[in-house]
Amino acid sequence: MPISSPHKPLLVLLLAGFLAALLSVSIGSTTIGFEDTLRVITGSGTELQQTLILELRLPRTLSAFATGGLLAVAGALMQVLLRNPLADPYVLGLSGGAAVGALLAMLAGAAGFLVSGSAFAGAMLATLLVFGLAHGSGSWTPSRLLLTGVVVAAGWGAVITLILAMTPASRLPGMLYWLMGDLSHAATPWPGLIILVLVCLMVFPLGRALNVLARGSLQAAALGVSVRPLEWSIYLMASLLTATAVTMAGSVGFVGLVVPHMLRLVLGNDQRLILPACALAGGTLLVLADTLARVVIAPEQLPVGVITALIGVPTFLYLLYRSR
Amino acid sequence: MKHPGLAALYVLSLLAPLLAQAEGHCVSDALDQSVCLAEPARRVVSLSPGATELLFSAGAGDRVVAVSAWSDYPAEAAELPQVGDSNRLDLEAIVSLAPDLVVAWVDGNSRSQLERLSGLGIPVFWLAPRTFDDIAVAVSDLAFLTGSPELGAERAEVFRAEMATLNAQYADARPVKVFYQIWDQPLMTVNRNELISKAITLCGGVNVFGDLPRLVPRISREAVLEANPEAIITAGSSDNRQWLEAWREFSGLAAVAADNLFLEPPDLLARPTLRMADGARHLCQTLEQARANL
Repeated sequence: MPISSPHKPLLVLLLAGFLAALLSVSIGSTTIGFEDTLRVITGSGTELQQTLILELRLPRTLSAFATGGLLAVAGALMQVLLRNPLADPYVLGLSGGAAVGALLAMLAGAAGFLVSGSAFAGAMLATLLVFGLAHGSGSWTPSRLLLTGVVVAAGWGAVITLILAMTPASRLPGMLYWLMGDLSHAATPWPGLIILVLVCLMVFPLGRALNVLARGSLQAAALGVSVRPLEWSIYLMASLLTATAVTMAGSVGFVGLVVPHMLRLVLGNDQRLILPACALAGGTLLVLADTLARVVIAPEQLPVGVITALIGVPTFLYLLYRSR
Repeated sequence: MKHPGLAALYVLSLLAPLLAQAEGHCVSDALDQSVCLAEPARRVVSLSPGATELLFSAGAGDRVVAVSAWSDYPAEAAELPQVGDSNRLDLEAIVSLAPDLVVAWVDGNSRSQLERLSGLGIPVFWLAPRTFDDIAVAVSDLAFLTGSPELGAERAEVFRAEMATLNAQYADARPVKVFYQIWDQPLMTVNRNELISKAITLCGGVNVFGDLPRLVPRISREAVLEANPEAIITAGSSDNRQWLEAWREFSGLAAVAADNLFLEPPDLLARPTLRMADGARHLCQTLEQARANL
C-alpha cells in the first residue's frame, strides 16, 4: 500500500529519531563498536558493555528524546496560543519558576528527587500565578497573557540572580549546569515519555481547531470554535509539557523556539502535521545534541543546552535565509 | 634650594621606601610582585578562608582585623568581622579598616578589585599554593610579613617534614587506582595538578583522571566505569555518603567489589593549608585500608 503523502514527513522523522537513538547509545566516552552495541541490545555482550548501554546510555537517550519532544510541542502550542512567533515554552516564566524551585532545593543541600520535585512545584506555581494574574478584572487577551508572563518571568529572573549571588562557590557548578539545561539529572525517562504521549493524544485531535485559532480568535469564534476553553486548555497542556521537560533536564533552551519554526518552514503551517512532527523532530534534535555534549570533550561533559543553541542557531538562520 | 639641610631631608623622604626595602621586609608573592613593608603588618585583612587559616598558622591570628565570608577555621576566625564573599568584596569596608596588609587568593579574588586597593596604597600579598611546598612557603612568608619569622619557619619545617615522612612511608606501597569525587551532580573530579591529587600520589595512589586537561573536570559516569577505579573516595559530611552508595549499583566496579568506598573527613583536604598534613595522613590510612580490601 502506498503511504499517503501527508504522513511521509512523519515517517522520515520517526526513522531519523530511531537512527539518532541508535547512534546515541553506541557512542560515548567509552568506545563500543556498532556490532557490540547490537549484541548488547539483543541480550549478550560483556557485563561492562551491558551496564554502559542499558543502564547509563539508554535511559539518558530516552530522557533526551522525551525532553526534546515535550519542549518542541509546548513551543508550537505557545506560538499558536500567543499568535507570536517569538513565543517559546519559557516565555511565560515557567522555567523561571522551576529554576527558583530547583535552586532553592539545591541551596538547602537537597539532591535528586527533591530537586526535580521542587522544580515541578515551581513550574506549576508559575503557571497558576500567570493564569490567575492574566485574568485580572478586565477581559482576557493573548497580549495580556503574554505581558503578564513576561513580567512574571523577569521577576523569576531576579530571584534566580539573587539565589546565585547568595550561594557558596562550591555549590554553584551544580546550579549553573541546571540552568543551562543538563540531562545528567534525568533519573528515569518514563514520566516524560508517558506525559508526552498522553498530551499528544489529547492535542492532535485539536489540530483543525488550532489551525483556525492561529488565524485569530475572531475568525475562530466566527467559525464555531469555542475560543476561551480552547485557549486555556492549550495553555495548561503546554505548561504541563514544559514543566515535565524542565523537571527532567533543567531549562534546555532553543528546542522549543526553533523546532516548530524549522518544521513550519519545511512542512507548512498545518498544526495537524506540525504537532506530531514537533514531538519527533524535537526529540531527535535533543538526542543528537546530548550525544555531542557527551562526546565532544569526552570523558569530560558539556551541558546539552550549549549544543542545542550551537546547532540550532545556524540551521534556523539558514532556513530563514532560504525561505521567501 | 636655599637650605641644604631641607634638600637632604627631601632626598631622604624620596629614599624612604627604598630604604625600607633595603631593610629586607620584602617578600615576593604568587604574582611575582615584591611586597615590602617598613615594619611588620599589624592590621591584616584576609580575603579567602584559606588565607585566613594560613595567617593563623603563621602566628598572625591576633593581627587579622577582618576576613572574607566562610572563614570558619580556626574558630576564632569565624568571630571576626567580614568584608564580603571572596569574589564579591566590599572594598569600602576594607579601606575603612585601614589595613596595612591585605592577603589575597589568586583563584578566588578579583584581580581588578584588588588593583584598586593597591592603587590606594594598601599592600596586597597574593597567594596561590599549588604544591605542598607552596603551603610551607606561604606560612613562612606570612609570618615574615607579620613579624614572627622564626615561628613561621618552624611551622613550615614541621609541615615539610610530615609530608616527607608520608612520602617515604608510601613510596613503595602497591599502587591503588583512585577516583576522587568532589561533586555528584554534575559529577566532578580533580586532575593531577590539584593538591588533593598530589596527596593521593603521595600515599601511593593513582588518580585515574589525573591526565585530564582541566583542574576540576566534569566527567560522565561512563568514564568512571571504564577507568574502573579500585577505590572511590569523597570528602564531606555524612550527606555525601549517599554519593558513594550510589556506585554500588555498578557491581562490576573493582571499588564496589572490594567495598572500597570511602568518606574522608570534611575540610582537611579542601584547602591548601597546614591541615593538609592531617588530611594526607588520613588519606594514606584510607588507601592502606583499600589495599587490604583488594
